[in-house]
Amino acid sequence: MFDNIPDSELKIVGKGVERIDTVEKLTGAALYTGDWVVPGMLHGKVKRSPHAKARIKRIDTSKAEKLAGVHAVLTGKELDYRVGLYLVDKHVLAKDVVRHFGEAVAAVAAETPAIAQQAVDLIQVEYEVMTPALEPKAAAQKGAPLVHPDLGKYDYVKAVFTPVPGTNIANHTKLRKGDVEKGFKEADKIIEREYTNPNVQHVPMETHVTIGQWMVGDRISIITSAQSPFTVRNLFAHSFGISHANIRVYIPYVGGGFGGKAGIHLEPLCCLLSRQAGGRPVKIQATREEEFSMLPCRSGLVYHIKTGVKKDGRIVAQKMTMYWDAGAYADYAVNVTRASGYSAAGPYEIPNAWVDAYTVYTNKPFGTAYRGFGHVEFSWGMERHMDLCARTIGMDPLKFRMLNALKPGSVSLTGEHITENTGNVRLCMQEVADSIGYGKLSAAEKAREKKTGMKIGKAVVALHKAPAMPPFTGTVVILKMNEDGTVTANLSLTEIGAGTYTSIVQIIAETLGFPVEKVRLPVENDTDRDPYDWQTVASKGLLLSGNAGILAAQDLLARAYEVAAQVLRANPCDLAHDDEKVYVAHHPEKAVSFKAMAVGYAYPDGNAIGGPLVGVGRYVAQGLSNLDKETGQGHPALDWTYGAHGIIVEAHPRTGEYNVIKVASAFDVGRAINTRSVRGQAIGGMLQGLGTAMCEGYRYAPDGRLLNPNFTDNKIPTSLDMPEEIDCIAVETPQIDGPFGCRGVGEHSMIAICGGLGNALQNAVGADLTHMPIRQEDVWRALQAPKKAGRK
Amino acid sequence: MKIHVKVNGKDYTREVAGNRTLLRFLREDLGLTGTKEGCGAGECGACTVILNGKTVNSCLVLAPEVDGGVIETVEGEAKNGKLSKLQEAFHRNHGVQCGFCTPGMLMSVKSLLKIHPKPTVAEIKEAIEGNFCRCTGYQQIIESVLDATGQLKPRKEEIRRVR
Amino acid sequence: MLHEFSYLAPRERKDLLQLLKKHSSQARLLAGGTDLLCEIRLGTDRPEVLIDVKNIAEFRGIAFSEQDGLAVGAAVTCVELMEHPVVRKRFPLLAHAAGQIGSAQLRNRATIGGNLCTASPCADLGCSSLVLGARVELVSARGTRVIPMKDFFTGVKATQLKDDEAVQRVFYPVVAAGAKWGMEKLKRIKGHDLAVVSVAIARTTQWLRVGIGSCAPTPVVAADLPPNASVKAVTEAALKAIDPIDDVRASREFRLAMVQEFIAKLLPALS
Ligand SMILES: Cc1cc2nc3c(=O)[nH]c(=O)nc-3n(C[C@H](O)[C@H](O)[C@H](O)COP(=O)(O)OP(=O)(O)OC[C@H]3O[C@@H](n4cnc5c(N)ncnc54)[C@H](O)[C@@H]3O)c2cc1C
Ligand code: FES
Ligand code: FES
Repeated sequence: MFDNIPDSELKIVGKGVERIDTVEKLTGAALYTGDWVVPGMLHGKVKRSPHAKARIKRIDTSKAEKLAGVHAVLTGKELDYRVGLYLVDKHVLAKDVVRHFGEAVAAVAAETPAIAQQAVDLIQVEYEVMTPALEPKAAAQKGAPLVHPDLGKYDYVKAVFTPVPGTNIANHTKLRKGDVEKGFKEADKIIEREYTNPNVQHVPMETHVTIGQWMVGDRISIITSAQSPFTVRNLFAHSFGISHANIRVYIPYVGGGFGGKAGIHLEPLCCLLSRQAGGRPVKIQATREEEFSMLPCRSGLVYHIKTGVKKDGRIVAQKMTMYWDAGAYADYAVNVTRASGYSAAGPYEIPNAWVDAYTVYTNKPFGTAYRGFGHVEFSWGMERHMDLCARTIGMDPLKFRMLNALKPGSVSLTGEHITENTGNVRLCMQEVADSIGYGKLSAAEKAREKKTGMKIGKAVVALHKAPAMPPFTGTVVILKMNEDGTVTANLSLTEIGAGTYTSIVQIIAETLGFPVEKVRLPVENDTDRDPYDWQTVASKGLLLSGNAGILAAQDLLARAYEVAAQVLRANPCDLAHDDEKVYVAHHPEKAVSFKAMAVGYAYPDGNAIGGPLVGVGRYVAQGLSNLDKETGQGHPALDWTYGAHGIIVEAHPRTGEYNVIKVASAFDVGRAINTRSVRGQAIGGMLQGLGTAMCEGYRYAPDGRLLNPNFTDNKIPTSLDMPEEIDCIAVETPQIDGPFGCRGVGEHSMIAICGGLGNALQNAVGADLTHMPIRQEDVWRALQAPKKAGRK
Repeated sequence: MKIHVKVNGKDYTREVAGNRTLLRFLREDLGLTGTKEGCGAGECGACTVILNGKTVNSCLVLAPEVDGGVIETVEGEAKNGKLSKLQEAFHRNHGVQCGFCTPGMLMSVKSLLKIHPKPTVAEIKEAIEGNFCRCTGYQQIIESVLDATGQLKPRKEEIRRVR
Repeated sequence: MLHEFSYLAPRERKDLLQLLKKHSSQARLLAGGTDLLCEIRLGTDRPEVLIDVKNIAEFRGIAFSEQDGLAVGAAVTCVELMEHPVVRKRFPLLAHAAGQIGSAQLRNRATIGGNLCTASPCADLGCSSLVLGARVELVSARGTRVIPMKDFFTGVKATQLKDDEAVQRVFYPVVAAGAKWGMEKLKRIKGHDLAVVSVAIARTTQWLRVGIGSCAPTPVVAADLPPNASVKAVTEAALKAIDPIDDVRASREFRLAMVQEFIAKLLPALS
C-alpha cells in the first residue's frame, strides 16, 4: 500500500524520527515486569535439575512446606498439565524424569525471595542418573534411546508438522523440487560437507520474569515479560481448559526478547503456584543462570550439504540434510525446522533441490525462536559451502553468488516465482562489495598488513528470510480519537526494543496527515484492552500492523468525513482535511474541527450526531498456503527480505588472533520507514551476529551438564568488540503489499554474519572452519591442521 | 544496621540487613527501580550507579557499605522535568532500544564526561565496556555521546538509501 | 540471592584482628566484594560474618621510598594503582596489570588484596606481582609475618592465610632504573574477560623473570634467568613452570602454544 508514493511527497515516513518510547526509558520511569509489585505478591523460586537425564526417584518437600512464610510448594507429581506451542510435550514441572540440565523440578512461593530460596534448598530430590543423548545425529537414528517415549501420544498441529513416533524425531520437514539425482549426474563437480552450530542464548538484558495470579473462579491475571500476549493467553487457555475471556495478559515494557520470549514460559508455573497459594499473585524472576539453562536457547544444528555444480558456475542440484538439535522439548524448534527447511539454500536458485530437515530431541536445554529463526544457523553452513563450491571450480565467490542468486524469473525452493518486486539481492551484494573494496587490498590495507604482520581477508555473503508464520496470520489496529483531536492507537504487537511502534506511529500519522505528536501508541499491552495480534516475531510486525494502521487511519478519516459532511452539508468526496479540521475543499473557510467531532458532534442546541470517533483496520496475510507435506511446495512467504554483508578481517597467520575491521550491510527493506531505526536494527543485529560468530555458544560436559551458564564463560560482544568501521545501506525495491512499500528487517541483520566471518578468515589466512563460534583457538587449530598433514 | 545515604541529592535513613545489596536497597527499599539487574554478578553493568563519584556495579556492593555515601542514579539525571543534555542526545540518536541497559549506560557515560568532557570514540568504548547492550550494537549509543559533547559530524542521512 | 550474614565494619586494625580471631573460619574479609559476593551469590561460600577491611587505615594507601620500595595497602583498588604517579612511573607493570582487571566499574571496587587472596590461577595481579618479586604482609592478633608472594599461593584458590589472618600490605622491591617489562593477556573477547593465558616478563640488569597466569593451579613465576636469556631459554623455563589443563576457556595445547607465542612476542620488545 502506498508503495509508489515518492519520498518527496512524504512528511514523516522515511525520516529518522525520534523514538516514541525513549523518554520513559531514559529517566527510569519505564516500568518493566521486574519493577512491578502487586499487593499481596509472593515470590517464587525453582529447584532445578543438576543432571541432563535422570529418573526422579523421590522428592521430599516436607521440610520446605514447614518453613514459615512458605505458601505453596509444587512438584511435577501433583500437576498433570502439558504445554507446547506446536507439539504439546512439556510438563510445567518435570514429571518422573528430567530431560535437561537446569529443568524445573519443583517450585516454591513464599513471602520473600530469601524464604523461597531457603525452601527450595530444603527440597530433597533423589535421582537415578541416566546416560543423556547429546548428539543430534546419533539421537535421530532408529533404536537410539528415546527422550520422549510417548511422542506418539502427544497432540500436535497436524496440518504442518510430522513427528515420527518411536524415534527422537519431533518433526520431519521434506522438500522436493525437480530431480536431484538427475541434477547431480549433470554436474561437473559434486561438493559435500557438514557444518555445525552449538546452542546459543538470546541474552536479553532483562531475564524472563512473570507475575501470575490464579483467582477463585478460574480468573487468571498475568503480568509478564513476553513478546506475544495473545499467544500466552491462547496456550494458557488450551493447557488449562480455561476460557480465553477469563485470562488477562498484561505486558509492560520489555527489556529485549530476540525470540526467547515469543512463546509461553514462566507464566503457567507462576499461576499454578498462585492457585496453590490461595490466589495470591506470585512473581518469578529468572536469574541469569536460569536464563541460560531453565529457559530456552537456540537449537544447535548439524547441516549436511551436497551440491552439484557445473564448470561455468551454475548450481544444478543440492541435497540438504538438517539435524536440528531441539534439546528436551520441541517448542519452536519444529517450526524453525520447517521454516529453515524451505529457505535452506539461501537466496540462490537451485533447480533440483532436496531437503530433509529433522527436529531431534536430545537431553539439552531446549531451543526456541531466536532472531533469524534458523537462518543464522544454516547460513553459517550454506555461506561457507558457497565459498567452498566457488573455490572448487576456481570461480570468484562473489561472482558465483551473483550467478546463482535469485532474480526475477527464478523459482524458489517451494515453487514461488520471483518477480521484480520481490527484492534485489544482487544489488545488496554489489553495494556491500563496493563498500569494502571487494577483491583487492587498498594501499592502506597493504601498509596495515606490513605493519601488523596480520593478513587481511574480505568476503561478501548474502541472505534472505521470510516471516515464518501461519498462512492466515492477522492483526488489528484500533484508533480512538481523543477529546482534543489527538489519537490513541491500540494494537498487540509488542515493543520489545526494535522500534516498530515508532514506525507504526509514523505510518498512522502520515496517513492521517497528522504530526507524530498527535498519535499516541501506549507501549504496554493488555489482552483485555487491545485487539488481537498473533505474535511479535518473524519480522512481520511492521508489514502487517503497518497495513492495519493505514486501514485504521483511513477508517477514522472516513468516519470523521461522514460527520463533517453532515455538519458542513457537503459531499464527503468534496471534503479535505489538515491536522486540525475537516473542510470543504473549494471553500476552506467552511470547516469543522476534529476536536468538535472527537466524541460526537453537538449542535449549539445540544443535539448530537456521530458519536465518539474510532477507526478500525484489520489486515490478514494474503494468498499464503500450508506446504505440501511430501514436497514442501506451496506459498509460505509474506515477503522476502534480502540482504548482504561485506566483511573485512585481519588475522594473524600463526596465532589465529583476529580483528573485524569492517562490516558493511545492505538490506532490501522496500522503504526505510524510519532511517534511524533501520540503522539500529542493522547494527544491533550485526553485532549480535558477530557474537554468535565469534564467542557465544553452550559448552557441555560429557554428562550433559552445561559448563557455561553465565557471562563469565559465555561472553557476549561489548563495545570493544565492535568492528572498527560499520556501513549500512538500505536498498529500496518497494514491496507492493507492504505499508508505504516496506518490508521487515528485524532479524536479517544477524543472518550470514557468521559465514561471512568464516569466509573472510579463510581468505585472510587459510583457516578452513566448519564449526562456529570461531574462537581464536579454533582459528589457531585450523592453522595447525595443514602443517600436521604436511608432516605426515 | 541503620544507614544514612544521599541519593540524587535527597537524604535517606533506613534500616538494612547485612546481606542487602545496594541494588536491592535502591530498588526495593527506596523504590528507585530505574536501576536494573541483568546478572547480579558484576558482568553486565545494568546495575551501574555512581557511588561517591565513581561508577560501581550496585549488585556487588552491600547497602551497609555505603553508609554516609553519595549516590547518583538514573532518576537524578533529568532536572525540573527536563531531560539532561545527555538524555536528549540519546533520545535524538536512537541510543535506546529496549532500554534495559540505558540507566546503567547513562551513569557510565556521565562519569566519563566528568573526566573527559569531549571523549574520543576509543574513550567512550572503554568507558562503556562494562555495560552490555544486546540491542543497539553500541554504535548509536556512541553517537549519542558524541552528539551530547558537540562532536557528532552532521550527516545528511542515517543510512545510504539505494533504489 | 545472598544468604543471611552479618556485616561488620571495624574502624581500628586491632578491632579487625580481634574480630577475625573471634569468628575465625566463619568470617570472610570483605574488600571490593567482586569475588566474595559472587561466591556467596552462587552459594559456593557461606560465611556467617563479613568483616569490611576498607575502613582500616593500615590497609589503605600506597607508600614508596627508595630504601623500602613500594608498599601497597591490601584495600587499594585497581583504579588507585592505575592512577598513582609512583606506581605508573616506577612499577608500570603493576599499573598495567591492574588496568587489565574487569571493567571500569569493577576496577573502582576490586582491590589488590582481594585479587591476591582469591588466588585464582588467572588473577591479573598474580603473575605480575610474582615477576616483580612481591612479598605479602600477613597480620593477625598473633603478630605479623612477611612471606614471598611465591610461597603465598599454595593451590587453586588456596593460600598460606590462616583463618585469623589478613593481608595488610603487599611490598614491591625497588626495580632498578632501566628495567623493562611487558605483559600479554589472552582473552576470548576484546571486552573484559578473565585471562585464558597471561604472560608477564620483566628484565633488569641483574635478572630476567617470566610469570604465567592461567596455566597452573596458581599464577607462577619461573626461576630467575640471566638478563640476556634467549627466547628459547625463557620458553623452556616457562614451560617447566606450568602445567595447563583443558577447560571451558581453552585447551592445554592452545595454552602451551600461546605461552610460547607471547614470550616470543614480548622478549624482543624488551630490548
Ligand atoms: C565481572 C568480573 C570480572 C573480573 N575480571 C577479572 C579480571 O579480568 N582479572 C582478574 O584478575 N580478576 C577479575 N575478576 C575477579 C575480581 O574482581 C578480582 O580478583 C578482584 O581484585 C578481587 O578484589 P576484591 O577487593 O573485590 O575482593 P573481595 O571479593 O572483597 O575478596 C576476595 C577474597 O579475598 C579475601 N580478602 C580480601 N581482602 C583481604 C585481605 N586484606 N586479607 C585477606 N583476605 C582478603 C576475601 O575474604 C575473599 O575471600 C573479575 C570479577 C568479576 C565479577
Ligand atoms: S546486574 Fe550488576 S553487573 Fe549485571
Ligand atoms: S537497549 Fe536493549 S540492552 Fe541496550
